[in-house]
Amino acid sequence: MEHYEIMLIFSPELEKEEHEEVLNGLSDVIVKQAGTVGTILNWRKRRLAYEINKLQEGHYYLIYFSGPGTIIPEIEHYFRVTDDVIRYMVVRTDEQEYAAAAEKAASEAAAAEKAADAAETAEAIEDAAATEETELAEETELAEEAEPAEEAEPAEEAEPAEEAEPAEEAEPAEEAEPAEEAEPAEEAEPAEEAGPTDIDEAAETENAASESEKPEETSGKEKTDQ
Amino acid sequence: MRRDRGRKPKKKICSFCVDKIESVDYKQYEKLKRFVTERGKVLPRRISGNCARHQRQLTRAIKKARIMALLPFTME
Repeated sequence: MEHYEIMLIFSPELEKEEHEEVLNGLSDVIVKQAGTVGTILNWRKRRLAYEINKLQEGHYYLIYFSGPGTIIPEIEHYFRVTDDVIRYMVVRTDEQEYAAAAEKAASEAAAAEKAADAAETAEAIEDAAATEETELAEETELAEEAEPAEEAEPAEEAEPAEEAEPAEEAEPAEEAEPAEEAEPAEEAEPAEEAGPTDIDEAAETENAASESEKPEETSGKEKTDQ
Repeated sequence: MRRDRGRKPKKKICSFCVDKIESVDYKQYEKLKRFVTERGKVLPRRISGNCARHQRQLTRAIKKARIMALLPFTME
């Protein structure tokens, strides 16, 4: 018994009932050949990277099943005689992925259920967030008022570079630490996200970022010292 | 005597090893997009810095994704 994964694409204009018809036929084939159908994931309608039979999009499905290797020709024959399936691919997977797919399906089902509840609770959360925001705003106002005018000014200057919370900025002693912590983290992200095409570019920007970072840091410290 | 043409050779690291990915998945085609050129060709190892093992897995994943129209074979 091996674990397999089928990815198949339906024509976009088909209804859900028609999908299910084909999928039921597929599970009949699998069960008839002493296999067991695992999870079926609906990958929804996606844009095709290129035209297939003059179609621009397709409805993707992922089907996990296990069974003997002799099952594969039967399944492929089934897809070939089914006109609704515009493309299919059967690949072998390991048990881990098989289990992961089952988990994903379960979580998706749970998420769908939650979505209905979330709509109700969303309003409550929004209200709570609004009250929190006003509270925070009040706190920062108080903090700024308490500090003398001289100390408040450097805090405001440092603000755009750090993007930290305003409550922490009010005290100049804490400013230096968040600045050092926050900036390397920001650096690392673009380097990872950037495609390998511009790895050299990324490296250059990385260097540029590290160079430009130092003067900023020192200037920030000078300001706080004043 | 090494000739540097104004640029240090940067040590490249396999991003799959960094993320501790055991096998490259063709279904995550958004990730694979980073490893093809703008014309849709597989990016060579010397550019991407992938290790041999992951580069092999990557090319197979890209080819699978192409068959399922998740990635293009060519782009004009």
